[in-house]
Amino acid sequence: MKNINWSKYSKPIILVAFCVILTILRPTTFPTVSNIANVLWSVSVIGIMVCGTIFVFLVGGIDLSIATLCGFSAVVVVEVIHMFGDTTMGVFVGILAAIGVGALAGCVHGLIITTFNIPAFLVTFATQSVFLGLSMVITNNKIVSCTAPAAFTAIGSMKILGFPLPIYFMIVIAVLSWFVLRKTVFGRWIYAVGGNPAASEISGINVKRATILCYVFSGMTTAIGGIVLASMTRQAMAATGSGYTNDVITAGVIGGVSLLGGVGTVPGAIFGAVLMGLLNNGLNLLSVPSTHAGLVKGLVIIIAVGFDAMQHRDQSRKKSGFAFFKKKNA
Amino acid sequence: MKEMNQTTLRRLISVGLLAILIALFTAMVGAGSGKFLNAENLMAIVRDASVPGIIGVGVTYVIITSGIDLSTGSMIALVGMVMANVYAYTLLPIPVMILTGILAGLLCGFFNGFIVAKLEIPEFIGTLATMSVFRALAYIIAIKDANGVIMSQPMNVSQYAFLGSTIGGSSKGIPYVCVALVIFVVVGQIVLRYTRFGTNLYAVGANKKAATLSGINVERIRMMAFVITGFCTAVGAVFTTARLQSATTALGTDFEFSPIAAAVVGGVALSGGSGDVVGTLIGALFMATLENGVRKLDMNTAYQYVIKGVIIICVVMFDAVYKKRMDRIAKEKGAKEGLE
Amino acid sequence: MAENNVILEAKGIYKSFSGVSVLQDVHFSVDRGEVHALMGENGAGKSTLIKIITGVYSKDQGQIYWEGKPVEINNYQDCQKLGVACIYQELSVIPPLTVAQNVFLGREPRKAGKIIDYKKMNQMTQELIDKYEFPLKPTTVVDNLGIGQRQLIEILKGLSQNSKLLIMDEPTASLSGKEAEMLFKIINTLRKQGVSIIYISHRLEEVYMLSDRLTILRDGKNAALLEKHEIIPAKVIETMIGKVVDESSGSKKMLQSKGGDVRLDVRGLTDKTDRFRNISFQVHKGEILGFGGLIGAGRTELVRAIYGIDKPISGEVYLDGEKMVNPSPKKSIDMGIGFVPEDRRNHGFIPLLSTTKNVALTNYDILKKNGLAVSDKDELDMSKRAIQAIDIRPSDPDKQVGVMSGGNQQKVVLGKWLMRDLRLLIVDEPTAGIDVGAKDEIYSILEDLASKGVAVIVVTSDLQELLRVSHRILVMRKGDIVKEFKNEVVTQSMVLSAGQGVTEDKEAAE
Repeated sequence: MKNINWSKYSKPIILVAFCVILTILRPTTFPTVSNIANVLWSVSVIGIMVCGTIFVFLVGGIDLSIATLCGFSAVVVVEVIHMFGDTTMGVFVGILAAIGVGALAGCVHGLIITTFNIPAFLVTFATQSVFLGLSMVITNNKIVSCTAPAAFTAIGSMKILGFPLPIYFMIVIAVLSWFVLRKTVFGRWIYAVGGNPAASEISGINVKRATILCYVFSGMTTAIGGIVLASMTRQAMAATGSGYTNDVITAGVIGGVSLLGGVGTVPGAIFGAVLMGLLNNGLNLLSVPSTHAGLVKGLVIIIAVGFDAMQHRDQSRKKSGFAFFKKKNA
Repeated sequence: MKEMNQTTLRRLISVGLLAILIALFTAMVGAGSGKFLNAENLMAIVRDASVPGIIGVGVTYVIITSGIDLSTGSMIALVGMVMANVYAYTLLPIPVMILTGILAGLLCGFFNGFIVAKLEIPEFIGTLATMSVFRALAYIIAIKDANGVIMSQPMNVSQYAFLGSTIGGSSKGIPYVCVALVIFVVVGQIVLRYTRFGTNLYAVGANKKAATLSGINVERIRMMAFVITGFCTAVGAVFTTARLQSATTALGTDFEFSPIAAAVVGGVALSGGSGDVVGTLIGALFMATLENGVRKLDMNTAYQYVIKGVIIICVVMFDAVYKKRMDRIAKEKGAKEGLE
Repeated sequence: MAENNVILEAKGIYKSFSGVSVLQDVHFSVDRGEVHALMGENGAGKSTLIKIITGVYSKDQGQIYWEGKPVEINNYQDCQKLGVACIYQELSVIPPLTVAQNVFLGREPRKAGKIIDYKKMNQMTQELIDKYEFPLKPTTVVDNLGIGQRQLIEILKGLSQNSKLLIMDEPTASLSGKEAEMLFKIINTLRKQGVSIIYISHRLEEVYMLSDRLTILRDGKNAALLEKHEIIPAKVIETMIGKVVDESSGSKKMLQSKGGDVRLDVRGLTDKTDRFRNISFQVHKGEILGFGGLIGAGRTELVRAIYGIDKPISGEVYLDGEKMVNPSPKKSIDMGIGFVPEDRRNHGFIPLLSTTKNVALTNYDILKKNGLAVSDKDELDMSKRAIQAIDIRPSDPDKQVGVMSGGNQQKVVLGKWLMRDLRLLIVDEPTAGIDVGAKDEIYSILEDLASKGVAVIVVTSDLQELLRVSHRILVMRKGDIVKEFKNEVVTQSMVLSAGQGVTEDKEAAE
């Protein structure tokens, strides 16, 4: 065994190293059952969302509206539950409504981006404001608490076999995303579209439709993240989900998803989510205020994307050579 | 003249949008009370447009090079906090404090420029990251009490606070910030239209390869645009803190959006290579009018967010369709006319 | 002729890429105030020579002289300093700026305080415009100009830097007829003003009309240097192809129409932007139909429309008698049409994905599925079959296609169509930039397909290739089919002449 491919094992090694470091630094608070549950809760919300947004990343897009869409869907589910008098029926309708809102938002994103050929960041940057405003209008810019019925609170707080319920949601969504991306024809199309849209079109793929569907799915998982968050905190407000845009993008990026499209896997994204969860938890245990965490997360994005950009640059330089002087035959 | 210049037409459209908005609010608000269209309120609108307008000068430069800067809001907070620290912990005179703040802004801008131009990180993601970095730094250096709880730092010494008021100090006078706005817009427009640097900004935004071939240092121009944005943002932060007479970590929470929205409405295309500072000024006035009108109508202020977002999308969609059309017309014309 | 009348001279230039010799002892010189045309078939070494002159490539051997003095040109800036300006097809004008701003970009005259002196700049531009009689105005924003006028701005830019030599690489390729006329007028004016021009073109009539001298390259060597009166179309064509017309197997062929029933029937197809018009032809089962003609003749646009990528404004396409309604690539694939695009890197494959995924891309309808999941095994099997059938190297099915050689990339692009039942295969420039060995393999794949009854359309600018694979040849010129060759002996020069619009008898070429 002279040549062990370390890069293959780098992800688990990083996770283990992270846990070991935190255990050494905080031997009494980190490796406890209740703290692990905290980590898992944090991981699950990011994980649920990143499993959807990875579709958007793969087709070369981005979603800057994650945080406010998450908040908006949290508001929708809670308001609908109140509308139905805090009944279990209301929970069902509320969940459907929130997911529907997410899907609709994603559909609008996808349609505008593909029809008008406008950069995704700009469209989602604008809709971010729209979702924030809608949440504020609906809630009158107040916190809406929701402590009943049990069917709702259970979503975020129930435990099965000692693990919080949201982690199961994450697993289900991750498996679904993994299956779609890894196993189905549609998944293969997505990688093709992200890698070379023009060649995909010529290969008979409906690039526009595939792109729109990616945004729809991303909107749906963002909404589910919002529902889980609302249930966990038993309340909803416009600011529910704030900070998640960065967390989700960071999770994707450190999980090996390229923002240039075409590269990334669900296990990678889940790894990113777990790392983000551990990072959030670790900073918390080390008494770093959550307001300061942005420094670490921001730098992580810069380093990870900078690294990705560097590799891309090297590769394209090697490949294209003097592409500039190549003639473009009309 | 067979047809109008694209730039002129786009300018007319943004002025038209502003006029329509003013007319709309005059009718809606004025119907009840006549509170909207008066000198005092119009001055208030200009004052509200000033800080986004000043920052908008830098943002316009960045967008003309086909970039974006999402970090200006957080930068305001960081610059504010840097000045608050100087204010609270040193005996340095106020002008030195202001200079320190401006230096901080320049550094922030330089950092943005570095990661975008040197590391080649896409602008929107790089400045999204620095948006949280700057905000976190503001929290880290914020003034805290004995228990580590963040306090807002009052900065009410009159040598500084006067910047937040009006010339002469009366409530009906012209605010200093408006004077600064005029200076920034005039200088910004002159630099853009009458210097090599300004021309280079357009060249970089429209066609990086061609710019390089013409001997333009593309990397340097892109960095400069970000550094200038840092400068403008720092000046914006000075006026904001002077007006509030304090610095808080929440400063500028809304400001990632305002200058970009102003630029987009004012006709600075995000694809780069078009638009100017005057356009952004019109856009900033549009946004300020919108906020003012919504307030005057006693509408839930949250509607602003919805309206702003929708307006940006509509303007951007319009620009996309319009650009496609103009490109096609240019092509067809070339094919038909050839010889004039 | 005194030595000082020569502005640029390249002597004994050698260049090879990874052992393959591209230029051998090439000599090229341009006189002051001369329009010197440079011609040659694809791959003859024209663009390599130009890239050496403009400093993009370094030469292996030889020396370049500028106004009689030896010079080293290591990058584009060096060549600009000497006074050489290159007008590329991809224009480098900045649309939001005015004509004057573009012309003086980076060299604007300034007043005190670093303020640009627009008055002076516009005046200087106007002077240039007047001197060379360009139909432009200094203050027009480039946004409002057509491609031809934009090209003039680039020429003006070169002239404003006192360029004495302009290099124009296929300048008329994207121009309309009227724009081209305007350009020719300008070129004549420039010549009178003492500006030298290297004019690279495939279009013989332009060269015939404009140039004072003509250098022809063939296989990386000087083939001829013709004076104005010696530029006779038939002779030029003969020289370009080589004197060995009759001996070389690839330069002459007895065409034999093959095939059975009509497979593809194209009736009156017309392009939206007039790149081809009223095109009608048929392809039979088992027939390889070659499309010859110059680059820009509308062949690529035509086959893209047949395959359903671009929408024509009128005309119909029938496949085995069935009309193709509302065509799209998806529908074409479903109906058994395959397509290998011209621009391999940008349209042909997904660089980041493996051979397996690229081969499978169009074939998921025939791959086995377990429920919704594609059978990985079946997918891999298909890839292995493709690798074996056409010898893709490296044979690792997981290899990223982006890092393979051009020939193997093309095999992957082609390979995916071999995995399904085709009725018609369209290939556009199938062997551009591919080494000889892979070329032969690709030809035998096409022949094999035809022998199985597939109709094949081959678009190629490589004359040898056209004669080698085609059973029948159609030649396009400026958007029309101008000539059909079938059941007759055809030579490269006959095809070339037809594509050039040169009327001559067959004898003249031989």
